[in-house]
Amino acid sequence: MTSPDSKPFFLWRHLNKLRWLSLSIVFLMLVLIPFLHLYQTYIAAHAYDLLYPSEKIIYDSMETLSAPFVSDPENDLDLLKGTTWSGRLFGLDLSDPLALAGQIAASGKVLWPFVLTALIPIGLTLLLGRFFCGWICPASFLYELNTTLGSWLRNIGLHTGQRRMSRKFKYLVLFVTLLLSPLLGSVAVAAIYPPAIVGREIYYAIALGGFGVGAVFFAGTLLFDLLVARRGFCRYLCPGGALYSLLGRFRLLRIQRVVEDCNDCAKCNAVCEFGLDPLRDGFGQECNNCTACIAVCPTDALVFKMTPKDQPDRGPGHLGRQYRRVHSENAGDSPGIEDGS
Amino acid sequence: MKRRAFLGYAVAGTAASLLPMATADAAMQQGGQRYLRPPGAPKENEFLDRCIRCGLCGQACPNRAIKFFGMENGTASLDTPYITPREQACILCMKCGDICPTGAIPKITRTAEDVMAKVDMGQARVDKTLCLSYQGKTCGVCYRACPLPDIALRVGMLEQPHVSEACVGCGLCERSCIQIPQAIRIIPHHS
Repeated sequence: MTSPDSKPFFLWRHLNKLRWLSLSIVFLMLVLIPFLHLYQTYIAAHAYDLLYPSEKIIYDSMETLSAPFVSDPENDLDLLKGTTWSGRLFGLDLSDPLALAGQIAASGKVLWPFVLTALIPIGLTLLLGRFFCGWICPASFLYELNTTLGSWLRNIGLHTGQRRMSRKFKYLVLFVTLLLSPLLGSVAVAAIYPPAIVGREIYYAIALGGFGVGAVFFAGTLLFDLLVARRGFCRYLCPGGALYSLLGRFRLLRIQRVVEDCNDCAKCNAVCEFGLDPLRDGFGQECNNCTACIAVCPTDALVFKMTPKDQPDRGPGHLGRQYRRVHSENAGDSPGIEDGS
Repeated sequence: MKRRAFLGYAVAGTAASLLPMATADAAMQQGGQRYLRPPGAPKENEFLDRCIRCGLCGQACPNRAIKFFGMENGTASLDTPYITPREQACILCMKCGDICPTGAIPKITRTAEDVMAKVDMGQARVDKTLCLSYQGKTCGVCYRACPLPDIALRVGMLEQPHVSEACVGCGLCERSCIQIPQAIRIIPHHS
């Protein structure tokens, strides 16, 4: 059927593991950074020379790490700060594009130093699409574990989270929240955007003694995903996902189906967290290049391509039963089956 | 269909009732709690427009003075930073302004001139009926705690404190006051 050289690069199906590693590292950092902050306040309240040798280890290693980035020893521990919403990563200030959109909507003013911090995420989103949702978002990490919990519930016979809604609804959420921002006098998206909430609440819980209001909202979205619609918040409600989908509409890196290798098993559709339709080439702007479909495909029929446009639906896969029935050499002998197809 | 309509009405009704409460002005009028915004922050309305609720100022604060609002000050100031000087006061290190990505807390260099020119969190006020020095017992703790001694806070006879216009409202005097309740406290200037 296919020549060996048309097989995709063999590591692509392992990208999903790399993605989980990325999600785990981001989540772990969101937990460790508040502890580092606590350590920093401890250092600030004690003289360095009076610390126990074991207490100096963190400081010394952070000092080594930060040496290329800071000039003042006072800022030795300021290397890693913040969350995915806005933070400092090895001296580089990064902000979420949604934070920029929300801030501009609320104040009506463009603050250029702040715009600069969002440029790298915006550029990456233009090239890679909604990759933040699948590869970085700390809420996504919890939501995907929540999906696994949902499948366990299904295994014991509780069929929850089956409802489907319109994916366009999240664009409405985005625009309504942005329009309401000046009226509310605040950056309203920050209160309903799960990754911002997760980062913030982990920090509150570790450094400030307890969860805040956002944790209640986030627990609500987890229940919504589990009981009403699978991955419902990301699919139908998330304003950030809506913004990245719009930005990533003409992204360059896309997953595409190789119709010759596809056997119509539909595992890709079952595994797609965002409810897309890889089986019928239906990726669209909402695909986050998470590679879950690539990992699950038994015939390696899903590959990465550098192209600004999706393919149109090219019909059933050539390894599928229906296609073979119609196109096999014996098809002429049995016209009845051909009519039926 | 009926249930959906009911849910729709319920959501719309809740939103309609919450909306006036949520506006910034209402939040400012509530004013139940006395709090300071981080050093250099603009007036309340502009601050709320600029702050993206990232929590970086809190993570940068080496004194753990910066805390974050829940719903108690209105929805507009949800997750925004504030300082309660009696619990933990600002040491004017200006690290929060340095890390703030939006300029909601502006960048201010750590010099007395720049701090005095740009920081106006509030101003200290002495309650003479509570202050020990005004009751004939020499104290002077607030003067010793003040980062701008003889500029913002002068002492007279029996170490009686006199606050001047140069006070930036860091709250270290209020934090250090040995009277309970405190005899010197910061009157916030954020609204």
